[in-house]
Amino acid sequence: MSQPLSHRELLSAGIQDTARAESLLDSKELVGVELGDLLAQLAVAPDPDTALLLLIRLIEREPTVTRLVTADAARPLLRLLGASEALGEYLIRRPEQLDIFRDPDVDSTPACGGLVDAQGSAIDAAPVLRARLLASVGADPYEEPPVATMTGKDASVALRVEYRRQLVAIAVQDLMADDPVAMQPVVSMWLSDLAAAVLEAALAVSRAEILIRYDEATDVELTVIAMGKCGARELNYFSDVDVIFAHDVAEGSQLTRQAAADIAGELAAGITTVVNQPAREPALWEIDTNLRPEGQDGVLSRTVSSHLEYYQRWAHTWEFQALLKARPVAGSLALGQRYLDALSSLIWQASTREGFVRQVQRMRHRVIDHISHDQRQREIKLGPGGLRDVEFPAQLLQLVHGKTDPELRVRATEDALEALQAGSYIGPSDAQVMTNNYRFLRLIEHRVQLVRLRRTHMMPDTEHELRMLTRSMRPISGQWPKDPEQLVKAWKATVRSNRTLFEQLFYRPLLPSTAALSPDDARLTPEAATARLAALGYRDPRGAVRHIQSLTSGVSRQAKLQRQILPAMLGWLAWGPDPDGGLLGFRKLSESVGGSHWYLHMLRDSSAAGERLAHVLSSSRYITDMLEHTPQAAAWMDRDQDLMPLSLDTIQTEMTALIHRHPNLPDAARYVRVVRRREILRISLADACDLVEQPQVSQALAAADQAAVEALLRLVVDHVTQKWGGEGPRADVAVIAMGRQGGYEAGYGSDLDVMFVHQPAAGVAVDEASRFAVDVAKALISFMKMPTRPPIVLEPVLEIDADLRPEGRRGPLVRSLDSYRAYYEQWADTWEIQALLKARAIAGSQHLQDAFTQWADSVRYTHGLTKAQAQEIRRMKARVEAERLPRGADPARHLKLGRGGLTDVEWLTQTLQLQHTPDYPELQTTNTLKALEAAKAAELLTAEDANILIHAWSLATRIRSGIVISTGKVSDVLPTNRDLLEALARWTGYDAGEVGEFEDDYLRITRHARAVFERVFYGTTSPRAVSDF
Amino acid sequence: MDRQQEYVLRTLEDRDVRFIRLWFTDVVGALKSVALAPAEVEYAFSEGLGFDGSSVEGFTRIFESDMLLQPDPTTFQILPWRGDEEQTSRMFCDVKMPDGEPSMADPRNVLRRTLNTAADMGFSCYLHPEIEFYLFKADQWDDQGVPVPVDEAGYFDHVPGGVAQDFRREAVSMLEAVGISVEFSHHEAGWGQNEIDLRVADALSSADNIMTARTVIKEVATLRGLHASFMPKPLGSQPGSALHTHFSLFESDANAFHEPGAEYQLSTTARRFIAGVLRYSAEITAVTHQFVNSYKRLWGGKEAPSYVSWGHNNRSALVRIPLHKPNKAGSARIEYRGIDAAANPYLAYALIISAGLKGIEEEYELPDAADEDIGLLTTRERMLMGHAALPTTLHDALGVLEESEFVADVLGESVFQSFLRAKRAEWDEYRVNVSPFEIRRYLDAI
Repeated sequence: MSQPLSHRELLSAGIQDTARAESLLDSKELVGVELGDLLAQLAVAPDPDTALLLLIRLIEREPTVTRLVTADAARPLLRLLGASEALGEYLIRRPEQLDIFRDPDVDSTPACGGLVDAQGSAIDAAPVLRARLLASVGADPYEEPPVATMTGKDASVALRVEYRRQLVAIAVQDLMADDPVAMQPVVSMWLSDLAAAVLEAALAVSRAEILIRYDEATDVELTVIAMGKCGARELNYFSDVDVIFAHDVAEGSQLTRQAAADIAGELAAGITTVVNQPAREPALWEIDTNLRPEGQDGVLSRTVSSHLEYYQRWAHTWEFQALLKARPVAGSLALGQRYLDALSSLIWQASTREGFVRQVQRMRHRVIDHISHDQRQREIKLGPGGLRDVEFPAQLLQLVHGKTDPELRVRATEDALEALQAGSYIGPSDAQVMTNNYRFLRLIEHRVQLVRLRRTHMMPDTEHELRMLTRSMRPISGQWPKDPEQLVKAWKATVRSNRTLFEQLFYRPLLPSTAALSPDDARLTPEAATARLAALGYRDPRGAVRHIQSLTSGVSRQAKLQRQILPAMLGWLAWGPDPDGGLLGFRKLSESVGGSHWYLHMLRDSSAAGERLAHVLSSSRYITDMLEHTPQAAAWMDRDQDLMPLSLDTIQTEMTALIHRHPNLPDAARYVRVVRRREILRISLADACDLVEQPQVSQALAAADQAAVEALLRLVVDHVTQKWGGEGPRADVAVIAMGRQGGYEAGYGSDLDVMFVHQPAAGVAVDEASRFAVDVAKALISFMKMPTRPPIVLEPVLEIDADLRPEGRRGPLVRSLDSYRAYYEQWADTWEIQALLKARAIAGSQHLQDAFTQWADSVRYTHGLTKAQAQEIRRMKARVEAERLPRGADPARHLKLGRGGLTDVEWLTQTLQLQHTPDYPELQTTNTLKALEAAKAAELLTAEDANILIHAWSLATRIRSGIVISTGKVSDVLPTNRDLLEALARWTGYDAGEVGEFEDDYLRITRHARAVFERVFYGTTSPRAVSDF
Repeated sequence: MDRQQEYVLRTLEDRDVRFIRLWFTDVVGALKSVALAPAEVEYAFSEGLGFDGSSVEGFTRIFESDMLLQPDPTTFQILPWRGDEEQTSRMFCDVKMPDGEPSMADPRNVLRRTLNTAADMGFSCYLHPEIEFYLFKADQWDDQGVPVPVDEAGYFDHVPGGVAQDFRREAVSMLEAVGISVEFSHHEAGWGQNEIDLRVADALSSADNIMTARTVIKEVATLRGLHASFMPKPLGSQPGSALHTHFSLFESDANAFHEPGAEYQLSTTARRFIAGVLRYSAEITAVTHQFVNSYKRLWGGKEAPSYVSWGHNNRSALVRIPLHKPNKAGSARIEYRGIDAAANPYLAYALIISAGLKGIEEEYELPDAADEDIGLLTTRERMLMGHAALPTTLHDALGVLEESEFVADVLGESVFQSFLRAKRAEWDEYRVNVSPFEIRRYLDAI
């Protein structure tokens, strides 16, 4: 060792493992090297420890390398060794290639410095690289087409060695650049041209090999079209190269179509072999040919017309985004151009499909959903705020506006941004921010890939890797990034800014120019704004423009806040089935809330609230209308807790307090009904926001109704008692819910089917008590629906319907418990026992409720069914099928009475309950789904049958509630109106555009349910043979 | 406006065409037509032509009445039988919903969906249909009330100065004039029965071609004072009319059914395709034989294949592997003989192709080939050899169809349901009809 080294010198060179470094510096290869000089130069290496080790191994192979150190010219080499182990290994493997470090001009290669001209600007390296790579396999670059003189593994080795030599040259220029961020696009271009040159040279080899076997092969022209990053000249250091092949046969050739296709296929496959077959120099990257028509199953090469035929079938789909970047890179460029010309018209039609942006966005979301959560945070490319979030909006905007503006038809992301800005589709500052973000992330990606030449897009997470990345990002002459902390901070800021880009680019420019936030914002022409709104899914873009204008114009605080909120809202609204209706609703709501400060602030500060509100407004007329009259409810959007349905207890407590404060009956009744209406709105909001499932919704609706009935019953009992001259109530009156309400299966707008029961007060004659009870029942029914003053706007009025009572309308409105008992013992029809299965006491004294329930249980749960009764139920059902379905209704589409609809499932369930409850007490429930689950568990139904019934019943129930939500009206028919069907499809969880599937599924599921019903209920083996259902 | 559409508009202008008929098909395969003036065509291309579907079989009740006809410009043809004056043309249409989505009730869309599935699997389907029909003297009946055929010749007979021969010549040249290539035409086995074989074409075009050919044949007959009928079994004593069809699948440019050296040169793909078709042949019978009368042909004993079977050049088999010239890889194909002349080609082809694709996808095993006349075997023998019988009446066939998830899936719930409904109604009407047979047999005897 020539001189002792201080620890400080080692540390200042960036060495981490000083002990190991000391022993390395002691090795015999470094004898004669001035270690101080070496360390001074080593400091430029991103990972000096590795660089030092690689250097020693290199000297071992090629001792003259020490001269570089001595001449103070080793910085490029050391920087490379410290940034890329893989390229270091290459140099150790091929020390003869070190000449490019000794003499940058050697053998006129575009090596270090060779890609930059005298003025220091990048030259078009493509022809040079093509010539070098072709020469490496002995092909004449001026021959047309070039044919290699080398073949087989020798050709592979020669080609790969030359490729890596050029890669070293590019990497060195990249690493030594003063401003690597600015340099990034040039580096990508070089890398793309280098890959293209490889394809050309490999094709020359493949051609040489095939000519040995077939002379006619000269008749076949092949073109290699690069797609994706290579096509757009924005390749990174290590990535699959996506290509497509097309071929043509020379005129007058004797080859058949099939033979020509075979030769073209072999030529194409030969390229992959040259690049990837095992040989002494390792394989290069994957050539991915899966973007070709039919993917992996398709032939490798097709004629241009065959490509076109295929793509026409795919017109309007996302496949075309890939074609946006297609570029012929090898083989016959003229043929490649013909390919592009043929397909270009298809590309630019894609965006005219309805809801195009929405569909494409959904795909983007799916991609994000597929990345595991911890990877998502570090994904430079696909994660939220990653590279894709820059590329993606740029491409979408290209597709949306490129249909009418040919200036936008460019390949690379940066070119697209520039063109979009030049055409005023995005603002100059946005374009600048995007470009910078894009380059910065690409540079990180480059540096990370360079280390091992692996396809990775992960931000490193170990201290060591981060440190190395920081040092390789920092130019030799530069200060930034100072340390990993600074780098990570910058990266996070970039990711954050990218996340909001979509909104920023797509929606903000839609604001009228008078409302622009800054002079920097883009100003869309009215035509461009219309095209964009239409692509986003607005059916009436002109109307939308008017609403936007009205919301954002003016100098009020409100208008100012709207300008901040609206761009995001426009995006969220576009996701719903009815964006136009949603925007109108938002305008009305905003006008009605007026200046309430909380409203706009909530929307500005809570994106969750805004997104929810938009979703609700664009999917539900029902809720939008109610919200307009109860705008305060919008405040609930901010917190899940505020949206959750209240419990029965809570509602009852509130109503009790209200009654207490407002003893006057009409006032009190009105308050009770106002609270009920408010709760229904809350439930529907929670439902629309997917916070609750259908069974919870029904339960909550039942609770709201029950609380209202209960409170009102107390009021009218007092009221009637007073009318009867005081002295206390003449009878105890209870309300029994029947039907859907009894089973906790109510939907929006359901009636309340009831029976009333009374018990005479002590010492009161039954007759008198009855009359009193009838007065109470009538008052209850009427106060629940009579108009109030002031009116309750848009109240879903609760109709109380007592027609299901014994003897129907002819029977007394209220019976005493004894009277029920007597009636059921002597007269009751089987269907009346069946109806009792749904009976649930909801109001009145606890004592009477319990007594009724006890009696009802004894009737419905203890007897089983006689054969005759079972037959009677079946006949009754058959008659219902024949008579109840409205004239002209399609049985397949009637949700309630139709084939496999609610009634089918319920009758089957109820029969099982009547029959088996004596043996299976778990069947004691008023709820259809619970009864079905119990029957399944008790094996009274096979699991398969039970699941079909549950599915059909749940779907029909869900659709019924969706109809009310969408239209505000109750209907039992699956609509034929497409817009409404679309809304229902979305409501039941289908994606946009899946309305056909939705309808088909409904028809199939209910058909299956009907088959189960026929078999289990009627006992017929051939379903529907007996009916026209 | 794409190039095809432009071509149509230009031709309308150049040839001074006065009317454009827009054709589409209902579920039972009846051709429907709306006429349009040339000025309206451009609009129909871009927006579609609205029509009220509520009165068309199969579109009734399922959807709201407003639907759109979207003309398919690749099917544009001048109709030659209208002469040079007032030229008329036609285009087939896809039926769309107002939002531009294909109608689930459109039979052409059913076939399109199937072909898309095939394309997703990497296949394109080519068909070669053989159309059989009877020629009768117009408005003539014998004393039994049976129509009178134009001749009493048989298979491949050359009838000097024959009416049928002139008819075929004119029909074939008319077909060629509308762009439908005819491979072959000859006299068939029955009196007055003829056959016209269309040249192989992709499946959708083939179905369109059949619809066109039926119209052309009927038009030409009328012009010559004859009556042409595709009724499956018009004469009890003569063979019925079928729509035997040859199927082949291509993967890229190669015939997927061909494998040199394999048994009958049949590839594994072909064997699975056949296995699929055989497995579902009973379920699809109600579609391939959709009329009450169809079963009189199917079970009439005269070379209609009524048992599930396949064989090499065996005319009694349901699926026949035709003899073909060795080394002609491109022409490898299979013939399905279980379709009668009156089937709706869109639905029948969609089902047969889907059945075959299912066989390929799920790798069905093909049973042994039948090498003897299956009709001559005893019932027991057929049972032992696994040759199940196809349904014997429309009623039975509907029962099997109704249970078929496969058919429901291919047709889609809407078409499935409306088809069943229409056919049940037909059966109910037939059931209560008292036939001349019954009168002859019972009226005096009982």
